[in-house]
Amino acid sequence: MTLTGEGLQPSEFAVTAARAVADCADLSLREQARHLANDGLLGVIAAHDVGGLDLPLALAVPVVAAAGAGLLGFPLMEALLLGRALQESLPRTAEAVVSGEMLATIAWQGSVSAAREGDSVVLNGWVARAACTREADCLLVRIGTSGAALVSTNSNGIVVEDAAGLDLAVPEHAVRMEGVTIPAANILPENTWSVLCSDANVLRAAAILGSAETCLTLAQEHASTRRQFGRALSYNQAIRHALARQKLGLEGIRHAITRSVGDEAGALQRDAAFLAAGVYGSAISEGALQIHGGMGFTWDVPVHRHLRRVRALQAQGDASGVLAALGRRYVGAIAPASDVTASR
Amino acid sequence: MTVIETEPPVAATGDLSGEAYRVAMRRWLRANLPASFRSDSAAFSPPTLPQSIAWEAAMYRAGLAGIIWPQAYGGHGRTLREHLIANQEIGALAMPESVNSIGKELAGPIILAVGTEEQKRRFLPAILEMRDIWCQGFSEPEAGSDLAGLRTRATRSGDIWRINGQKIWTSGAYRAQRCLVLARTGPLEDRHRGLAMFAVRLDAKGVRVRPIKSIDGRESFCEVFFDDVEVLQSDALGAPDEGWAAAIRVLEIERATNRMYRAWRFENELRHLIAACKSDPVLAQLVAERHYEVRLGEVVVDIEVLKAHVETAVDALVNGDRIGARGSLAKLHWSEAHQRFAALTLELLAQASLPLQPAVQVARRRFEAIYLQARAETIYAGTTEIQLGIIADRILQLSKGK
Repeated sequence: MTLTGEGLQPSEFAVTAARAVADCADLSLREQARHLANDGLLGVIAAHDVGGLDLPLALAVPVVAAAGAGLLGFPLMEALLLGRALQESLPRTAEAVVSGEMLATIAWQGSVSAAREGDSVVLNGWVARAACTREADCLLVRIGTSGAALVSTNSNGIVVEDAAGLDLAVPEHAVRMEGVTIPAANILPENTWSVLCSDANVLRAAAILGSAETCLTLAQEHASTRRQFGRALSYNQAIRHALARQKLGLEGIRHAITRSVGDEAGALQRDAAFLAAGVYGSAISEGALQIHGGMGFTWDVPVHRHLRRVRALQAQGDASGVLAALGRRYVGAIAPASDVTASR
Repeated sequence: MTVIETEPPVAATGDLSGEAYRVAMRRWLRANLPASFRSDSAAFSPPTLPQSIAWEAAMYRAGLAGIIWPQAYGGHGRTLREHLIANQEIGALAMPESVNSIGKELAGPIILAVGTEEQKRRFLPAILEMRDIWCQGFSEPEAGSDLAGLRTRATRSGDIWRINGQKIWTSGAYRAQRCLVLARTGPLEDRHRGLAMFAVRLDAKGVRVRPIKSIDGRESFCEVFFDDVEVLQSDALGAPDEGWAAAIRVLEIERATNRMYRAWRFENELRHLIAACKSDPVLAQLVAERHYEVRLGEVVVDIEVLKAHVETAVDALVNGDRIGARGSLAKLHWSEAHQRFAALTLELLAQASLPLQPAVQVARRRFEAIYLQARAETIYAGTTEIQLGIIADRILQLSKGK
């Protein structure tokens, strides 16, 4: 099925995405881009004008979750977010991203300085945690504390460092920028960047949900079939309770995501979904590894590859920083108690 | 009986829905909850039983109890979404727990599901009007988590049942009029079969209640002894062999919907803790440090996840989905997260500067009580271990086989 029509259900997105992700297994990045685009998966949230489906973020959730579950080796979240982020100011680029002709990525860590020179802007600085930059055509980077800039990766002055990070399927790169000149039109406003970051938190949670769900399924299957002391592992209460806790965490992620894309959700709900996904997703994938024993360390069982991805996503979204900032905002918004009544 | 002067119920609340309903409920609660009932207030003084009864009856008249029960039985006939809205507003205030939660959230729904028409008309309005306070007679010395080991017996002759046995951990039995008794009609070997439920009057001949002093120094739960207690057939709930199975189905939903205000009360507690800390120079500095920003941030995330469990369960029920054992997830998450929070409140408030600020004294009194009560939250209504077992058996359906 190709996603082109209206009135589609999240479950249909999940099915289409799961099949497309499986098809991508042996394809190059560019082939994957075209394949995913053909199924309508890169433009789920982008406007009709740039070839997208113009649907709410909630419908990108099953797509990204399926990519997580299938360990897709493609910067899907970045393509989804950039298709929409660029649709106003750089519609041709947005269209190229949505159609899979252009590979685009985002540097989630670090920022560059920007100096205006006529119709151009000159960028200097370091950014990192940019997925697949080595092969990407363009890269979105944060400027100082306001806005972002879209940079062509073949610009003069760009040095892409060797891949690093835990996730081997989607390698992350650090990028050095020395006097990189871009058109002033490539600067995106602060609001576009902040919406993009906020949506990214929901989609990271979705990716982690896909990985965590796969890990729990694998662990459950292993516990039911692996026999020790004459019985299935799942006979043991220690194993049953461990798996039950993983299920509790998994449903916590799922419901927190649902809530984060609800009508009344704001930044707090989105941050909470991402943070809960990081905490529970790590516990679930680490727990699945433990239940698999030595098998979990082999390349025959994908559990550790999910664990790598979950931890990479947690770091990419700066979970520690997000948590501290959330706590700071929450504490800051509450007035000291008077001695009559306190809360609210 | 103490009379609590409250404003009359907001006019024509029956017509309100959504945000207008929320605003009406919020306004009534804030205008009428006495300061002495608010554990975040310096004026706090635990309400007496007559005060609690009067307050809860007033809440009912204002539309804040029996929200989803049919109007024919005294209920307000509203939707589960409105029940959620009302509970969000109830949770947002530091209010004492209901003295009749067993009546409103356990006995009532069971009677609605399995009771006769006569029983519904007799029992349900009395619960809402606080004429009958109920307690729960399930646990026994030999049947705690494992109700299949229940030994209290009910034998029938004509229209009369005779009940013999002993219940324990029966919270509030000393103040209750009725006990929801689970008793065995067949042999012990029948395990879960042959269990029947009865609405037993606690002033009946042969009933003896002995309070037990508990962790908070109060006598909140009791032993209840039944010595040849006569119960009329009209007080038997459901058919002897079907009642329990029906009750289990009710309880499945109840576990997901009861005390729905918990997530919002939890939030009220967190806000109170932070407000109290910010009134103390040392604590104000501590909560502005990264260590406590992170720890308090973790509590915020726990609360958001709890709200997500509750709200998505309500959505599922409203959509007519079966929620199965999902209530176990919310109960497990809440009880453990709340215990972590309760320990954090002690840790923070112990670092207050001297002399203690009045707001810190108020907070210490509230949170020391909450800390002790929270230790029970992983035990009552199915221990953590039982909940994990339910998730493993019924949600994951893990094989127990050889």
